[in-house]
Amino acid sequence: MTDAHGQAGVHVSGLRKTFFPGTVQEKAALNGVDLDLAAGEFAIVIGSNGSGKSTTLNAISGELQLDAGKVVVAGQDMSRLPAHKRARFMARVFQDPMQGTAASLTIEENLAIAARRGTVRGFRMGLKRTERDGFRAALEVLGLGLEDRLSDRVALLSGGQRQSLTLIMATLKAPSLLLLDEHTAALDPRAAELVLDATLQAVKGRSITTLMITHNMDQAITHGDRLIMMHDGRVILNLGRAEKASLTAADLVARFHDVVSDRMLLN
Amino acid sequence: MEFLHTYFNLIPVSLAQGAVYAFVALGVMIPFRLLSLPDLTAEGSFPLGGAVAAAMLAGGSGIASAILAALLAGALAGCLTALIHLAFKVTSLLAGIIVLTMLFSINIRVMGKPNTALFSHDTLFTAFLGADGGAPLTQFALLAVLLLIVCGALHWFLLTELGLGLRAVGSNQMMARAHGLSTRAFVIAGLGLAGCLAALGGATMSQYQSYADVNMGVGVLVIGLAGTILGEAILGRDTLLRQIAAPVVGSLFYFQFVAMALSLGFKPSDLKLLTGLFVLAALGAPILKARLDRRAGSPRP
Ligand SMILES: Nc1ncnc2c1ncn2[C@@H]1O[C@H](COP(=O)(O)OP(=O)(O)O)[C@@H](O)[C@H]1O
Ligand SMILES: [Mg+2]
Repeated sequence: MTDAHGQAGVHVSGLRKTFFPGTVQEKAALNGVDLDLAAGEFAIVIGSNGSGKSTTLNAISGELQLDAGKVVVAGQDMSRLPAHKRARFMARVFQDPMQGTAASLTIEENLAIAARRGTVRGFRMGLKRTERDGFRAALEVLGLGLEDRLSDRVALLSGGQRQSLTLIMATLKAPSLLLLDEHTAALDPRAAELVLDATLQAVKGRSITTLMITHNMDQAITHGDRLIMMHDGRVILNLGRAEKASLTAADLVARFHDVVSDRMLLN
Repeated sequence: MEFLHTYFNLIPVSLAQGAVYAFVALGVMIPFRLLSLPDLTAEGSFPLGGAVAAAMLAGGSGIASAILAALLAGALAGCLTALIHLAFKVTSLLAGIIVLTMLFSINIRVMGKPNTALFSHDTLFTAFLGADGGAPLTQFALLAVLLLIVCGALHWFLLTELGLGLRAVGSNQMMARAHGLSTRAFVIAGLGLAGCLAALGGATMSQYQSYADVNMGVGVLVIGLAGTILGEAILGRDTLLRQIAAPVVGSLFYFQFVAMALSLGFKPSDLKLLTGLFVLAALGAPILKARLDRRAGSPRP
């Protein structure tokens, strides 16, 4: 289906989610999240802990059942599709390096599964010998030597190596939308930088529409075409490239306090 | 040496028995190892396969159709466990217990009585090995050929796109969904496949002993588990081939230990206790070892 924004890009509107409704633990995690990304746009999402960033990504990927809201990716309405069907359009890298790969399978088996994202699986070989060259080339970019360890089990890799592999898997077949949830947060600084570089390289060259959550203000300011700030289950700041260009970390903190206190006054 | 003499005489029979139970051991390995989903349905799908095959053979059906019907019944039992687990959000263990309990009644319905004798009917063994059903060693050879075919087919399947998907689902469901694999469909299909293998074991057993009994499944899960653990201790599980061969090799070895225990004067009724103790030891050993290592090495930070 087409909408006002045209076919391409990502259009998220009116996402609402309350956990444990009607109980003492009731928690309104999303209170109407609206987001629009142009095709190829690299958006960075920031916001305090518990502001609903991960919940938003989980809702977009279909891992989480929404109370209300609509998700359109590349002109397709995702709202009624289960997570595995949305995988045809989107790829994900999680915060926990353990979540993105199958530890008991080898590196090349993981890549073979990623290479078939969005296809109908059948009785063809799950991993063809001819695929290996492509896998090696994709891994070489990381500079971690993983290209020489194709038949090693992923369980043998470090967190940083696993996260790098997950990133390569997510972008092996360019998705219409790439979702990154603080995917460098659990890594040591060196590994985090490596994975971020690999991310930028994978995303920029092929202009993959990307939604990246980060807790790192400098990352948020330095990179990306769009900056989105969430608070209390809402988007409270949404800056395009031009507005973002002159921004400093201090500005950002100030803007955050402005918006939050404005809201408090209004309420 | 009285013990050795008795044991040597038991070797051919114990090899044949081990080969029969190797099918169930494969059916136990799949949920526990490939799907990481503990499942007890084998305890019901094994006698189900035995009952269906026996009832069909006694009713005059051909051997191939009797075995096929048993496979189908086993697949349905496995799928049912998966569906209960997924739809009602009960653990796979409880879902399996519910199914195997229901299967007890169904197995009696299938046979029309609690047991069925096949002594005057053709079986897999009389068809290939002559009217007397063959000597234990030739029976073992026949079963070994069957096992090779089954293991070969399983190995081929697990290397296909679907088989790789199944292993991914067993390893990491989140990753599997993120790459377009329906975890529900694979869990249903995987337990169905396990049910097939357990039922094949039952169908083979009822023809091997020319007799199906509604209680023939009691303890079969722990035997399958013991075979799998033992095989993994011998072969490791570093490659897919080893993981598939482990339950088969382990089952053959397990029944050697059974024969030794019997030769030492244990009663057949003691075997379940011994098997249970063996599985307990195998499960407990790594934990005890870690605890000892910790005590011996530096204290934890
Ligand atoms: N599965 C869940 N069950 C209950 N509450 C949840 C769940 N997931 C998130 N929440 C709550 O929803 C709010 C938003 O969480 P989240 O989206 O993870 O925040 P963050 O912006 O830090 O990623 C938090 O208050 C969190 O406790
Ligand atoms: Mg989060």
